[in-house]
Amino acid sequence: MNGSRSGRVKSVLIVIGIVAVVVFFTFPVYWMVTTAFKIRIDTIDPGKWLFAPTLENFRVVLRKRNFYAYLGNSVVTVAASTVVSMALATPAAYGFARFRFAKKRDLAFAVLSLRMLPAMCVVIPFFLIGRFAGLLDTSILLVIVYLSFNIPFGIWMMRGFIEEIPIEVEEAAWVDGCGRLETFVRIVLPLVKPGLAATAMFIVIQSWNEFALALFLTSFRARTLPTMTTMFFSVTGIVWGEMAAVGVMTTLPVLVFSLLIQKHLVRGLTFGAVKG
Amino acid sequence: MRLPNGSYWTSGRYAAAFIAPALAVLVLIVVVPTFFLWYISFTDYQLQHAWGTQAFVGLDNFVRLISGRDHDFLPAVRISAVFLLFSVVVEFLLGFSIALLFHRRIPAKRLWMSFFILPMTITPAVIGLMWKLIYNTEYGVLNFLLTAARLPKINWLGVDTALLSVVVVDIWQWTPFLALMLYAGLQSLPTDPFESARIDGASSLQILRFITVPLMRPMISIALFLRIIDALKIFDTVYVLTRGGPGNATELLSLQVFRVGFQHTGWIGRSSAIAIIYLLLSSLIILGFARLVRFDSESRRTPGETV
Repeated sequence: MNGSRSGRVKSVLIVIGIVAVVVFFTFPVYWMVTTAFKIRIDTIDPGKWLFAPTLENFRVVLRKRNFYAYLGNSVVTVAASTVVSMALATPAAYGFARFRFAKKRDLAFAVLSLRMLPAMCVVIPFFLIGRFAGLLDTSILLVIVYLSFNIPFGIWMMRGFIEEIPIEVEEAAWVDGCGRLETFVRIVLPLVKPGLAATAMFIVIQSWNEFALALFLTSFRARTLPTMTTMFFSVTGIVWGEMAAVGVMTTLPVLVFSLLIQKHLVRGLTFGAVKG
Repeated sequence: MRLPNGSYWTSGRYAAAFIAPALAVLVLIVVVPTFFLWYISFTDYQLQHAWGTQAFVGLDNFVRLISGRDHDFLPAVRISAVFLLFSVVVEFLLGFSIALLFHRRIPAKRLWMSFFILPMTITPAVIGLMWKLIYNTEYGVLNFLLTAARLPKINWLGVDTALLSVVVVDIWQWTPFLALMLYAGLQSLPTDPFESARIDGASSLQILRFITVPLMRPMISIALFLRIIDALKIFDTVYVLTRGGPGNATELLSLQVFRVGFQHTGWIGRSSAIAIIYLLLSSLIILGFARLVRFDSESRRTPGETV
């Protein structure tokens, strides 16, 4: 086929298609990253593609924009919410994977449907309840509300991973006199370690990226990194370089995490529905 | 999953012990607040007032919205519908084409496909920033490219174009997800039907129409289902990019909840009513679609069991 003329035309078209696709999906990222390294005068000259890179934008963001405070809040919130949601979701996932009970399918779907809830639907009650409890603008409140989407996700992901363990392993443990809880802790958990790691990593990414709830439930002390993006709304003289630097620094950890779980990416993005 | 019979495996008592803690937390932090939202939607509570001073107004908030007395509400429903339809349809067609494009022998394929990870994992609020840079009328690279091609500049975030620009951002963000999913689906299909069709002299288009698409149906419906759920939730990118403006040009329901409840007015009661209708419409669409998809453990095994 490659020898014929139409075959050659076809392969040229395929190459063009692939290049177009790759350029379309990477160019905006390239543009943001390069902008972060431009001096101010270069950021307002989109025609200047070759420029002398500078770290000035990062320096300003780190020093004047209080970056470390946001970073600290993000780390605390994400870490706490991940640990708590994994601790609650993993046993529940085991319950769904290994027991038979009435209405199991309906219950599992109900759990999943909580994950489908738009943040802007629940932000009002979260805000008021947070105010009653005196928890507005604290990391504790964010940790709690993040459980609302992290637990359902954790249950569905871990359920898939646990179902992949041959049940004979557990039966053997049972014959040897292990109780239910003991089987779970000493047999199942060690076997699903890779699944636990992947699921936790997804929860880290989701919590790290969360924006709407963080924006409305915190105001000053507990703000997380993604809310820094709202600093650049002023109409007069947007500092494009700093804006891009914030974007780069917020995104960098997420990219590292997602490279670590590249293998499970499709699975995580589909709540375990597809094992890509 | 086939479980052996006998009390050890089926005892609901044990299941409750494992599942109950997580469920209790979920009820407390999701179900209870949702009921609270219903209550607020029947009051005239305002953000700046002390709690307890609000009056019960019955269905007033809802009547105002549905009767069109609130001039902004029905347009927001329309804008949300347009956004949902356009973004999901284009993303699907584009994603399926890309999946087909990559479903062949290509040098360094893994490397090219790893770029797809970028759009779907970058913090959505940062994606908003990124496109703000690109769309800017004077300093944006998009208008620079237009000028270089001797075309007139476009005010990308102007009244007439902003919704389209927002849709483009969503397409950029989520097409790779559909492409990856559908690609995984294509890779998992059996090869025999394709070989026999080719032997029988079927054209590429016929193969696509009569073999690929029917075989891919379960995967396609799950992909669309997940995409619709996320498209209904959208807030971050639009908030950072336009805040629902200019005017109400990109005011999706989620952004209207924000504007009415938190910006300027602080009408929490009314905003809750919008949130309730938003919630009901979303659930209706999701449940309607869920009937077409078997999203349970049985169907979870069959598609894409590739790697």
